[in-house]
Amino acid sequence: MSGNAAIATSVFGAFMVLTVGLGLLSVRADRGKRGGGLAEWSVGGRSLGTVFIWVLMAGEGYTSFSYLGAAGWGYNYGAPVLYVIAYMSCGYAIGYLVGPMLWGYARQHGLVGIADMVAHRYGRPWLGAVVAVGATVCLLPYIQLQITGMGVVVSTISYGAISINWAYFLAFAVTTGFVVVSGLRGSAWVSVLKDVLVIGTLGFLAFYVPVHYFGGYGNFLDRLVDEKSQWLTFPGHASGGMGQSWFVSTSFLNSLTVVIFPTTVAGYLGARSADTLRRNAIALPLYNVLLLVPMLLGMAALFVVPGLVGADSNLALFRLVIDSLPAWAVGVIGVAAALSSIVPMAVFMLVIGTMWGRSVLGLVPRLAAHQKLGSQVVVVLAGALALLLTYTAPNTLVRLSLISYEGMAQLVPMLLLGLVWRRMTLYGALSGLVVGAALVCALVFTDRDPLWGVNAGLIALAVNLVVALAVSFLGPGDQDDRPDAEVLADVEVPAGEADVTAGTAEGADVVRAAAGADAMETGTGTEGAREGKGGGGPP
Amino acid sequence: MLRRSSLLWLLVPYVLYLGALPLVNRVHPTIFGLPFLLCWLLLATLLTPVAVWLAWRGDRKRGRA
Repeated sequence: MSGNAAIATSVFGAFMVLTVGLGLLSVRADRGKRGGGLAEWSVGGRSLGTVFIWVLMAGEGYTSFSYLGAAGWGYNYGAPVLYVIAYMSCGYAIGYLVGPMLWGYARQHGLVGIADMVAHRYGRPWLGAVVAVGATVCLLPYIQLQITGMGVVVSTISYGAISINWAYFLAFAVTTGFVVVSGLRGSAWVSVLKDVLVIGTLGFLAFYVPVHYFGGYGNFLDRLVDEKSQWLTFPGHASGGMGQSWFVSTSFLNSLTVVIFPTTVAGYLGARSADTLRRNAIALPLYNVLLLVPMLLGMAALFVVPGLVGADSNLALFRLVIDSLPAWAVGVIGVAAALSSIVPMAVFMLVIGTMWGRSVLGLVPRLAAHQKLGSQVVVVLAGALALLLTYTAPNTLVRLSLISYEGMAQLVPMLLLGLVWRRMTLYGALSGLVVGAALVCALVFTDRDPLWGVNAGLIALAVNLVVALAVSFLGPGDQDDRPDAEVLADVEVPAGEADVTAGTAEGADVVRAAAGADAMETGTGTEGAREGKGGGGPP
Repeated sequence: MLRRSSLLWLLVPYVLYLGALPLVNRVHPTIFGLPFLLCWLLLATLLTPVAVWLAWRGDRKRGRA
């Protein structure tokens, strides 16, 4: 092992130990205050404040794609990569409305994710299982993307000392190492370390790279405008149909999807109060400024390391880093990128486990009392399955990933429209979902995405909505006697009770009281004894 | 919903990023060297928090949030 490899690998190893330690510590720090039920593990006991929620949700949004794909797209295509910033900003903005709505609904009825929300809304537990299974199919590819992303980063920044196959395993081991025990709260704690490193390293690179290679920003931008202007507007460089209509339709569709994406919802439900989420919706879009950095650095790499093709272009940013910085700095930047895989991966695994524990295994009478344990087992299985497929059949999940986001989008009418509109029937919502999902698969797998320059998922969503409305109006009605207040979500969730007096000494007591009520709801101490559907939350 | 007209501020990012795109899809004029499209999207990213804050302020004024 060369000196550089030893240094970078040591830095990386030390931080990985720190990561697992930090994740596990979060459980210790909080032990005894609340019970250990499913809601404590899945959604952090619904007790996270504005800072933790910001850090966590920013952490989820800034994945390994940000370091690899964003730079690679910037390098290959240019402007089209900006859709990531557009949809995240728009999505965070409407999250101002949707976040508190879903938070209030889940809290009122003791729910832990989108699968049991849907089950509660339509009064059909099996529908929760259907959504859980479908969402898992859409989420597994994301776990694999994080595993492969981290594998590439780690083998690159260790100067090859850690082989890519070992790096895949490390991604799985480190993530599983803390998330099984500490759940959402552990992910939030690790996110703090991640955000410090990501903000620090990208802030540094944003200034260092242009100065080091171009003598300053002025020169860099001048060369970009003079020589690479094709990259700077839509449709970008050789992007194959990713023009303006693609950008607008994709950003619009994804902005609707990101607010109901299971990992986003896990963040919402972890919040202490509705106002925590509103404050978060204001602060979160600022994080997107950081996304511009890898995109710009990807374009900078065009001048420094021209000729990268295929998967190599994803390493555009790291080529610059290794070329221009000492080994210890390469290690630190590698850690930031690795954590950008680990944190989202942890939350992906967590929400899969939660959905299965509550909505699938919860249907089996013998397992219903052990939902948290069941969820934890599923977390390990889901991670192991993604790891196994990464080794044995990587293309399976790559193909699935093509439909992930557009497939998840098809849940929007069933969930969001269903929660505010009583006349949406089970048959309407389900027919829309089935037709929409089938259309996404048909268009994507026959290479018709984008279709007529428009994102295929948006076309499928429009058809989905029409079918859902038509069947709701014309088809059989639901036999559901529950009052609207029980079935629908409140769009105007009042500032959480804990928040009315926030900032005062009294506020802290209210927080504790609210947390206590939540612990009751989820069965204090005794493993999930009362975690069934009949749990009945505080009024 | 009409009582919460301040929520219309939440549409501002859609207008800035998506609605305005045909007008801003250009390299020139550059602003402090930044190509125009990049500069516009950077501006939109900085204005999004302001728009959400205005929606929040509207909610606060009515004493609800």
